[in-house]
Amino acid sequence: MENAIELSHVSKAFGRFQAVDDLSLHVPRGSMFGLLGPNGAGKTTTIRMIMAITAPDTGSIQILGRPMDRKTQNQIGYLPEERGLYRKMKVIDHLYFLAAIKEVSRDTARKRIDGWLEKMELRPWLNKKVDELSKGMQQKVQFIATIVHDPDILILDEPFSGLDPINVALMRDYFIDFRARGKTIVFCTHVLEQAEKLCDEITLMARSKKILEGSLKDLKRRSSEGLLRLSAKATVAEIGGLPGVASAKAFDGQYVVELQKGVAQRDFLKQALERYDVEAFSQKEPDLEEIYIDAVRNAGIEETRTIE
Amino acid sequence: MNWKKIFAIVRREYVERVRTKAFWIATLLIPILFLGFLAIQISISRKTGGVRNIAVVDLTGNMEKPLAAELTAIEAKQTKEAEGRKGPHWSLEPRPVTGSVDATKDALRREVLAKRMNGYLVLDAKQLENGEAEYFSSTVSDFIAQVQLQDAIRNVWMRQKIQARGLPPDLANELERRMNMKVFKVTEKGTAEEKGAGILAVLVFLILMYSTFFMYGYQVMRGTIEEKSSRIVEIVIASVRPTELMLGKIIGIGLVGLTQYFVWSLVAMNLSLPVVAGFLAGGGDMGVPRIPISMLGYFMLFFMLGYFLYASIYTTIAAPFNTDQEAQQLAMIPMMLILGGFLVYPAVMNNPNGGVALFFSLFPFTASLVMFLRTAVSEPPAWQILLSIVLLLGTTVVLAWFAGRIYRVGILMYGKKPTIPEILRWVRYSPGKAPQPEAKVG
Repeated sequence: MENAIELSHVSKAFGRFQAVDDLSLHVPRGSMFGLLGPNGAGKTTTIRMIMAITAPDTGSIQILGRPMDRKTQNQIGYLPEERGLYRKMKVIDHLYFLAAIKEVSRDTARKRIDGWLEKMELRPWLNKKVDELSKGMQQKVQFIATIVHDPDILILDEPFSGLDPINVALMRDYFIDFRARGKTIVFCTHVLEQAEKLCDEITLMARSKKILEGSLKDLKRRSSEGLLRLSAKATVAEIGGLPGVASAKAFDGQYVVELQKGVAQRDFLKQALERYDVEAFSQKEPDLEEIYIDAVRNAGIEETRTIE
Repeated sequence: MNWKKIFAIVRREYVERVRTKAFWIATLLIPILFLGFLAIQISISRKTGGVRNIAVVDLTGNMEKPLAAELTAIEAKQTKEAEGRKGPHWSLEPRPVTGSVDATKDALRREVLAKRMNGYLVLDAKQLENGEAEYFSSTVSDFIAQVQLQDAIRNVWMRQKIQARGLPPDLANELERRMNMKVFKVTEKGTAEEKGAGILAVLVFLILMYSTFFMYGYQVMRGTIEEKSSRIVEIVIASVRPTELMLGKIIGIGLVGLTQYFVWSLVAMNLSLPVVAGFLAGGGDMGVPRIPISMLGYFMLFFMLGYFLYASIYTTIAAPFNTDQEAQQLAMIPMMLILGGFLVYPAVMNNPNGGVALFFSLFPFTASLVMFLRTAVSEPPAWQILLSIVLLLGTTVVLAWFAGRIYRVGILMYGKKPTIPEILRWVRYSPGKAPQPEAKVG
């Protein structure tokens, strides 16, 4: 049982709108998995199907090696994007209630949340009604409720939206510790910078389809092969004219050079140093955003990304 | 079904509601209002005492004096019977006809308007022959006094007729005696005198059922909508099944209702019952209502069945919508059905085993109220009771299934208000066979 979550050929339509189209993916156990893509790519629908909130039209979903059942439901912590709280309920009662529907007793819940109340400075608010809390405070309550049953899998839809940097850091530390205990986290986000810092495995979705998957390291290495960053006293045309160069573009006062297949970096550099004054030179590792844009273009899908 | 989780939902619904100030205000205020209402009733009925000054235009020429005597006799009798509670005191003033009858009436009219007297009575032999007399007053709603006056006129008129025919005057006293028919209910255990208090208890139970279905059904609807509009529902649904959430909510809110009745019955036992009993005792020997165990049993049974039925309807109505306003229109449907069951009450009372009663006691949406009423006032055949229960249960199961399907799709539905054909498409939808019906997705 090496996969925490496994989807095979899952499709889901709402009326004529195809929300998820033949999606297969696997989340390895003990990974931080990023389900990425623009708004409307089908991420939330995918997650709701994993949570058995909506049923797929076709395909199958396995969690910890079997279909979602009563036991697995209690092993997952889920923070949906559309999240709220009962407005008139006291914070502490709310936490106990959300623990109770995961079959966690009050005593156990109290022990588990104690540290968090201190860290997130929620203790003075315990006997206040949810109504009186700020949005950010409510977010913290929701987060604590998500982990109160000490789940094996965490599924978080845009977990950091609306939180201040201190609490984001607190949560991030928890996630790292969580994974160190061999547990699995699925992030669902369209903010690529966050995913890049945390995730080791990603799946990219766009227009209901999966367009890229793999470990972030591999993806970066693969994309960086034959890519160089160069600063030199020369024109784009001159750089482009060097032997072994496939393409060269000016970018940010530097040149991004792509080499032809099989051309060694060393040979290209020798040529460049002989002809021009080279001021700086580095291997160019793409960031997630570039990988994403590339993947979308390669998949033949038009740019649909919206940036927050 | 996971009862541990359902219990957590029940507990939340119950505790959060019973804790509110609004619940206790309503719980304590309603009996106070009810007692206040009773007090007003009693004080009004006491006000029938007092002097009525009226003029009598006696066109027969020989009725005014006997009438005054008759009224004095009635007053004396009433004062004795009602232990000091005073009835009206009549003070009659004969008024001869001056000019025409109409001119006399016109003069009296002005005197009444000037508040020099309460009213005037016109006794005309021709009218009396037809069983009619005319009474003019500034207050025409003084019913108890009016009935008394009417009875007195009738008695005097009858006595004079008897004397005119040469019959003994004592005959009048015998003829005046009212017939009092005692009503016995035939049951399998024998016959028991029906004192009317039982009927009162039935009515109280009916009102209780009616208001619970309506008020607490509506609460179920609002609770469901609140879960959607506050966006908590997806968090909850990730831990419990929609049917479990639905069931927990219905049970929890039902228990809130029972708590309210429990408090009321405590209040009733300590406060209002002696008052009510005393009030009723004034009118006869009704005494404290004795409620048979069988009636309580049927009440509990039909109360539960009806509540679950209507709560399912209200949940179904709530699921597709995001605000109370959107659901308002459809919420009329259960309201009408509940009201219907309550409004056929007189028809069922008149003929508890007739066709109308049978129909409405089997029709599932009115069955709980009407069948309970029938069991209370008659002995319907066992097969009818059983059939009614089976139909009610069956309908509730079908509706709960129906509600569950709409709920499942509807609770995650945000955005535009769905139309009824759309909602019906949600019901037909079954996962894996066809695409899920139209929906807004995040």
